[in-house]
Amino acid sequence: MSPLRSLAGVTAIGAIALIAASCEANRQALAPTMGAPRFHFFEFQCQPLKMTGGGRIDYPPGTADKNPPASHEYETFGAHVMASGQFDQNGVCVADKGALEWVDHRPEMRVNGSPLNLHATSVTFAELAVDAPHCTDGAVHWGGTLRVQNTGQENLHFEVFDCDAGEPGVGQDGFAIRVIEPIDGIGHYEVTCEPDVSPAEPTCTLTGGNRQFHPTH
Amino acid sequence: MKNESIRAAIRFAGLVLPLTWTSGSLAAQMRATPQASAYGVSVSTATVNQTSPAAVLPAGEMMATDQANDVTVADLVTAQNAFAIVNGDLSDGSGAVSTATLGAVNILNGLITADGVVAMASSTVENANAEGSSLASLVVNGVALDDPAPNTRVDLPGTGYVVLNEQIPTSGGITVNMIHVVLQQPVLDLLGGVIGYQTIGNIIVGSATSSVY
Repeated sequence: MSPLRSLAGVTAIGAIALIAASCEANRQALAPTMGAPRFHFFEFQCQPLKMTGGGRIDYPPGTADKNPPASHEYETFGAHVMASGQFDQNGVCVADKGALEWVDHRPEMRVNGSPLNLHATSVTFAELAVDAPHCTDGAVHWGGTLRVQNTGQENLHFEVFDCDAGEPGVGQDGFAIRVIEPIDGIGHYEVTCEPDVSPAEPTCTLTGGNRQFHPTH
Repeated sequence: MKNESIRAAIRFAGLVLPLTWTSGSLAAQMRATPQASAYGVSVSTATVNQTSPAAVLPAGEMMATDQANDVTVADLVTAQNAFAIVNGDLSDGSGAVSTATLGAVNILNGLITADGVVAMASSTVENANAEGSSLASLVVNGVALDDPAPNTRVDLPGTGYVVLNEQIPTSGGITVNMIHVVLQQPVLDLLGGVIGYQTIGNIIVGSATSSVY
């Protein structure tokens, strides 16, 4: 065998090994423990990713059908997250940047006369969910801290379950949010759905908008 | 042997380099520019020119928001709890989503009222739609209208007309105006007869635009 062939062979083997290593599931890639089950989102990998977009959910029930508009039973949001696939010293798969603006229009969620408005003040972790096959383009579990704009209540931890199940996003993609600490005037807050109404539990199906997953950035 | 090595190198390059070129050129071809903007209320007349709240996707960012608890534009429009949220990704242009939502809305002293407006425009390279848009408890000139179809026009005698759930295809996207009032005044002939109408202003409540091209 010529030296060049040998070199090409070694290079190819090395490349395959590198790819295999980068794809191996990392069982340490866990977000900060937040005390709640992750339902369908159980297994994660820490790798470069990006999820962008916005949308609408009609929760409850969170199906692909809109509620009657006069019920005001819907939520609208914009959100994105980026991560490089790096762990911090605590083993957290850190996010590089992100944002969340969430508005819950339900009458029972009004605070100080306005729809509940949650605004992320930091996005700290983001990890790829590898056990949500219905999210055909990608699924991400991410979160950080937020502020309740209605009251100024700060430093509440939140987590998001984010699912891109193809195009268009309406009727296919999913989104869910859980705030860990109680919200003043509301208490425990989460918008999560059962598996029969969404592409991947606990996400709720979008009735408008789109989630766009990018494997790298 | 030397010739064989050269041939092997050429074969190797011939196999590998085209793969590199293909992925790069495909990425370049697929890269597009998304645009996203949204606003709650916009009034444009000879004496009033006001838009609030408004969000436009800025270069280098993936989201922009604006919000106003109360919007009052002269004696033309009042609105509560207005939000404008826009999203997109300028780095790879894969998609854009814009949303404008409002609570109670009163246009032209009760001529048009609603208590929940959602304008939503979503665009990808393959698709643009206004899914998610809605009007709640809409009353136009005393008549309740449930969930008007896209581009529903209702005349407003003495004022002009309104287009409800206005959906305008654009290059690579869509603009959605949930309530678009066109203010008109009659054009008279020398004898005072009406020979037509001219537009003297526009009132738009709940607007979302997104595109990818």
